[in-house]
Amino acid sequence: MRMRIIALSAALLASSAVFAADPGVTDTEIRIGDVNIMTGPASFIGRAVSLGSKIAASEINANGGVNGRDIVIVTEDDGYVPSRSFQALTKLIEVDEIFALNGTSGTANVLAMMPLIEENNLPTVVTTAPNELIYNPVRPSVFTIGASYEDAFFGQLKYIHENLEPENAVYGIIRQEDDFGVTVEAGYDRAVREFGLKDGIRLHYTRGTTNFATEVAQMNAAGVNVLANGAIIAGAANVLSEARKLGMEAQVAAVWSENMPPSVGLSAPAGYDYLVGDYVALTGPAVDEFLERARQYVSEEELAGLNRYTYVTYIGLKVLAHAMEQCGQELTRTCTVEQLRQIRDFDTQGLSGAISFDNDEQLSGTAIAIYQLNAADKTFKALTDFVEY
Amino acid sequence: MRTGHFKESYGQLVALSDSPVAWSWAGFGIALLIAAPLVAHNYFLTLMVAAMIAVIGAVGLNMLTGTTGLISLGQSGFLAVGAYTNAILMMDYGWPVLLSLPAAGLVAALVSLLVGVPSLRLKGLYLAITTLAFAFIINHLILHNEWLTHGPNGIFVSGAKILDLEIQRGRPLYYFVLAVTVLVIVFALNLQRSRIGRAWLAIRDHDIAARVMGIDLVRYKLLAFMVSSFIVGIAGGLISLQIRFINIDVFALILSIEALAMIILGGLGSIAGAALGAVFLSFLPEAIRYVFALFGDPNSTVYTTYVYEIRGISYGVVIVLFLRFKPDGLIGLWRDARKYWSNWPLAY
Repeated sequence: MRMRIIALSAALLASSAVFAADPGVTDTEIRIGDVNIMTGPASFIGRAVSLGSKIAASEINANGGVNGRDIVIVTEDDGYVPSRSFQALTKLIEVDEIFALNGTSGTANVLAMMPLIEENNLPTVVTTAPNELIYNPVRPSVFTIGASYEDAFFGQLKYIHENLEPENAVYGIIRQEDDFGVTVEAGYDRAVREFGLKDGIRLHYTRGTTNFATEVAQMNAAGVNVLANGAIIAGAANVLSEARKLGMEAQVAAVWSENMPPSVGLSAPAGYDYLVGDYVALTGPAVDEFLERARQYVSEEELAGLNRYTYVTYIGLKVLAHAMEQCGQELTRTCTVEQLRQIRDFDTQGLSGAISFDNDEQLSGTAIAIYQLNAADKTFKALTDFVEY
Repeated sequence: MRTGHFKESYGQLVALSDSPVAWSWAGFGIALLIAAPLVAHNYFLTLMVAAMIAVIGAVGLNMLTGTTGLISLGQSGFLAVGAYTNAILMMDYGWPVLLSLPAAGLVAALVSLLVGVPSLRLKGLYLAITTLAFAFIINHLILHNEWLTHGPNGIFVSGAKILDLEIQRGRPLYYFVLAVTVLVIVFALNLQRSRIGRAWLAIRDHDIAARVMGIDLVRYKLLAFMVSSFIVGIAGGLISLQIRFINIDVFALILSIEALAMIILGGLGSIAGAALGAVFLSFLPEAIRYVFALFGDPNSTVYTTYVYEIRGISYGVVIVLFLRFKPDGLIGLWRDARKYWSNWPLAY
């Protein structure tokens, strides 16, 4: 009788342990969520983001997984619409029962998911929206990789001021009227203040604007010859194309989205060898090695859609997997968050600066490298190493 | 077999329905909705809440566009006004949700006067463009008045309680939104059959004739703008409660187009049609996802690369096919089915 009671108690304890385990973890797999822009004009970004998770997961699984468990990526599309991000994460948590979240889309989208992330203590690595609104105030389970647009623009303008500044330099900025544009202008503002630059003109535009003829004409009239181009993708290309039409000779600082092949394809014909500041490597042996490894896990067609966003999400999942591994077989969200918090100098094999989350903001990868486009052959060269601004 | 309808008093004429069968079905439907959270998954409840909010917004737009014939592309603006009013009053001024939510509707209604007055002489595409411009203006005002709206940073909305019960998630949110939806639908049904509703219908059918009949166009058009915007403002307030974060990106202009699609797909001018259209479009992506899950291999390259685009295209194709073959919308389909059933076995 006593043995039966002991056996029953053991069975009960075992079953309660199973029930106590966090969702998304079984003996064989760990489910990681990915909410991304898979449809719409910005879907090439979302596909690249998902690709990063896929490559990292395949690589980890090929090397034995996380303590023997394979990583399974579950992707949901949000179409870059915040209310859909909320709905997508609800599905991932309630239906797919993910353990953690790696891919996330824009700033507003992450913020729309934030209440769900917080109440589920969901370990989350934000790699594509390193906006201050994400890490200030700090949320216990949210870890951010990436520099601010402020630092990226400040770094570029500093480089131009010190190395490429034309005679009688007049600086000008055009930026979007939203949280992203505000941070771009903060970097410009800081450069103007610190270096005493001549601030020619500041122009704002509504998101979705496609014709910048008037704005560029105003820039030209103000004598701008150093342009902080805060427009993105087709908008950025249109700004440069209008500038070329007016015969403006200018040094140009651009947003890091302008180093993606589709953006370069649009902007390069204007002939400006513009600068970008980025927190991931765009050239060099680290990128070559990454591409070589990636070839094993994705098709040629997928490889063609790879860009900087692939690298950052790849880094994000690698860091997350490292933290999960430290928890051993007793994998819980609480343990993973605790391990993420202790990460220091995680080596990304040269794809970015080393990752450390042991700081108050749980923010890392903030160092920026400056690159310059060669518009003729559409390649980038590194002008600086990763530097903290 | 029913042979016809004979009304012998004004009371009978304005009654919501004289059919016990209709009342029974309505009661059954509400009972189902009340019982749903007892068996449904949390994700399904989230979708249901989003669908019910869409129903409220569509019913509001239907009053303006379907009933009064004033086309509007400014619904995203009114949604934003409602959502921001609710969020600001709750989070910055500590108002309880039972006050902030009606206030969201009221502020949206007052703001609608700003677009209503200059729009009085406009119709059709001209009015559509005017209301679209209004939505742009609202976006600008929200972005540039950071002292009030928090600008591009947005607002987190939390702590909405009724009698100490937190109502921003799960079953409490579902029941709260269900109650508001039923109230809005009953209000709209009653209003449509009142003097005001009949005046709106007259304006829609022929505004000059309506004026000759003694209908004050200025008054009734403005009233249509205000009542519609009040309801849409409430829908905006509910969006802020469900998502718990709002910024201007949440209220993209595409919402105005989607709202129009809902009332057209449901059946223009019909409240039941607006509700059906909203539910249909809210659940269509889920239905398409379900079909794809049945046939797609989630690990194949084709699936992971293109499935989202294909799903998006399917969404559009279903709408186009529906409008091609059922131009009366979902409510037309429902009426055909009802007629067939009522006239059976002599159905044609």
